[in-house]
Amino acid sequence: MLRAAAVAEKAGVPSTSLVCEGFVGQAGTTSVGLGLPNLAVSKVPGHVDTQSVEELKRNVLEVTLESVIENLTTDPDMAVAIREPEATDIVFEGTFEEVNRLYYENGWSDGLPIIPPTEAKIQAFLDFTEKDPHTAIGSILPDNRSATPWNVAINGVMAGCRPEYMPVLLGLVEAMADPEYGVEHSGNTPGAETLITINGPIIRELGFNCEQGALRDGFQANSSIGRFWRLYLRNVAGFLLHQNDKGTYGNTWRVVLAENEDAVAKIGWEPLSADMGFAAGDNTVTIARYTGGDVILSVFGDSAEKMLPYLADGVVKQNGWQLCFTLGIATGTLKPLLLLSPILAETIAKSGLSKADVRQYLYEHARWPAWKFEQYIGEFINLVPGRRTLQDLVNLGKAPPQFAESDDPNRMVPIVCSPDDFMIVVTGDPMRTNAYTFSHNGMLGYPVAKKIALPSDWDVRLRAAKAY
Amino acid sequence: MSEAQWVLLPSGQRASGEWIDDTLRERVVESGLLARTPLAAQFPRQRVEVIRDADDAEVSELFHARGWTDGLPIVPPTMGRVEDMLRYASQPANAVLGELDPLKGLATVEKVAANAVMAGCAPAYFPVVLAAVEAILEPDFNLRGVQTTDENVAPLLIVSGPIVEQLNLNASYGVLGPGWKANATIGRALRLVMNNIGGGWPGAVSFAGVGQPGRYTMCVAENAAENPWDPLHVEYGLESDTSAVTVTRAETAVNVTGGLAEIADVMGSAASLFAIYHNGIVAVLLAPAVAKQLAADGWSKDDVKKHLHETGRLDAGMWRKSWLHKDLAEASQWPDWVHEAAATGSIPAVRDPSDITLFVAGGTIPIAQHVYFPSWGFPPCRIVKPVTLPADWDSLRERETGMSET
Repeated sequence: MLRAAAVAEKAGVPSTSLVCEGFVGQAGTTSVGLGLPNLAVSKVPGHVDTQSVEELKRNVLEVTLESVIENLTTDPDMAVAIREPEATDIVFEGTFEEVNRLYYENGWSDGLPIIPPTEAKIQAFLDFTEKDPHTAIGSILPDNRSATPWNVAINGVMAGCRPEYMPVLLGLVEAMADPEYGVEHSGNTPGAETLITINGPIIRELGFNCEQGALRDGFQANSSIGRFWRLYLRNVAGFLLHQNDKGTYGNTWRVVLAENEDAVAKIGWEPLSADMGFAAGDNTVTIARYTGGDVILSVFGDSAEKMLPYLADGVVKQNGWQLCFTLGIATGTLKPLLLLSPILAETIAKSGLSKADVRQYLYEHARWPAWKFEQYIGEFINLVPGRRTLQDLVNLGKAPPQFAESDDPNRMVPIVCSPDDFMIVVTGDPMRTNAYTFSHNGMLGYPVAKKIALPSDWDVRLRAAKAY
Repeated sequence: MSEAQWVLLPSGQRASGEWIDDTLRERVVESGLLARTPLAAQFPRQRVEVIRDADDAEVSELFHARGWTDGLPIVPPTMGRVEDMLRYASQPANAVLGELDPLKGLATVEKVAANAVMAGCAPAYFPVVLAAVEAILEPDFNLRGVQTTDENVAPLLIVSGPIVEQLNLNASYGVLGPGWKANATIGRALRLVMNNIGGGWPGAVSFAGVGQPGRYTMCVAENAAENPWDPLHVEYGLESDTSAVTVTRAETAVNVTGGLAEIADVMGSAASLFAIYHNGIVAVLLAPAVAKQLAADGWSKDDVKKHLHETGRLDAGMWRKSWLHKDLAEASQWPDWVHEAAATGSIPAVRDPSDITLFVAGGTIPIAQHVYFPSWGFPPCRIVKPVTLPADWDSLRERETGMSET
């Protein structure tokens, strides 16, 4: 909404944005990031979704209308820049406990102890990049601060990362800044959390866990880099709870996932990095946001044929309201993720199936009846305008033809637009027959991958760092 | 050398994150007032600041230099003190009561608490302070006008209900004067909120020609023991066991010694011109002795108001010759009722008897003293805000003050 207003204002057209009561603060901070801190908003009392037509009409006429008229007919207040400390300012000197208390009280920490980001510690991180510390990697909405190696290092120190993780952190921030990912949506109410997936030899070099307990804390690289992500969202992007982060429930930051590339190689599949457009063996980070997920427990059978129906069932059950990302809100942006433990992947591969075959299977079998699909996007939620049927959407060119192959409401339709929309990663306990599937958050955290750039003498520096 | 002080910064931040101090510094520089607040806008942009090697007096000086005081010493709003204050709030610390005009700092409960600490409030006063802030946020209060006008208006707070006794608010001798902590600090807290979160810095944003002492504090309590009529909050529709703050805009406080005739005489003077011009609501503090006699003679509150409306009249010739009529407001800008009244030879001080806020306060002395509070500004304003108490109000006060009985 505010983004549309920003476009209008930049074209010289006065605007005001109708904002539900609980979101006025978010509107204020979002407009700063859009470069127009004085964008006008008109408050609608309560939340429109729970109001009858009469209530909504009364609220708009009695409360909202007056402000709409005023906002459209008067000049906005002059904007004043928000002053912040310079990148290299020393903001505080004190004991470990004092630093932690100050950082927490000022909203710079997540509530767990941080490592005070001293100049020496920052420098140790900067030694792992050849980039100038103050060069811009990108700007991060909503606050629109510049991402730099310097502030990446600061948040890395705070999160408890080791200096040699710096190339991964830089790759992550590059991904965060990619408009395709949509970091500005990170404060949306679904409260989805980013999952970071690592590929390449760096998994072994930095000691990422890619085996049993792959999503559990307990390994420094997986844990601290996951925490770094959330601290960076807080301190540079500027997402703060009770302000512009409106996740209704949210999640804790996720432990970083690493793929078991040995297991992948053994069965002749390609790693995720290759699916994301890089060469197998490249060091990459892949990010995408998920609202949740579930384990698919004890997948039984000695062949793909026996295992796949259960996997497809697990995947389809994690995709209800999310179908609005398949059709409706941002067509074709739903990318469900399936994690297979090595033993499952191996059994499926033994039946002669490639990763693409698994995707094709999911596309054909992870399906809902058409009426159920329509119920999710047109009845249960109020996000897709028009309450159109799948047939309507196909007729309008807003959906691929496979969603309306007949007019039978019980016909089975896919949950994504293309088989390639399924993402598969092999990881987890190599000897346990469990899988895991994530509910993707569509365009509000679209999968983006970046190659990790290593400094020229990576091996030497890494060995030196590990000597400590 | 002293311990570090962890203080919450009391000044206003807009919804966008901007600190109003940056705007204020520009205004201060333009107005040549940097000598008063040499450190305007010079502070770390964060919620909490650690100040080392400074005692309370030095923190007070620092805050003054940053423009955050009324010129009197303040109590440093340390985290512990603010937390004690917040214990008495019925809303979370980050709840936003509204945007305070004219610079639109967000009045969060926490920011208000920091200012209440600075003003010297005891934590138990906080519900009254919050009610007062809610009152000035009402559109009818016209905070933008009050903060920026060249007139000298200030909020008048009239507290009524059981809380008057519970907080030991003065309703008797010297009710407008010094000596009672609750009256002094509740009114002051509101002024600091207006200054620090709303940005009404004198000379830079606020252009009151002379101001008035009531701009430091103007908080009175209704004298329930001596009031023969319904208390204010009951008169305006609240339950008698509720407490409330009634807020009006007072241009000044004029002492009147005597009886109704003398009050009417003062009301029917140039003091009422702005009230007449704006259809204003004025306030009259009636001395207990006079109120008692009137009630004994069978007068209701409405009778008194009607009488003052009928007898407190400004001579029409004086109105025509007045500066306000000649030099500021043309004849066509005055309300119709004024012209109609002028045609009869005199103009009442207010449009209707109900535009007088009448309350009983002060000491019981034979030489009765009343106060006339003329009003300034538009729209007509009398805001009655109930005081919302925390669920554990009684046990909280008992535990923390231990002095409620005497």
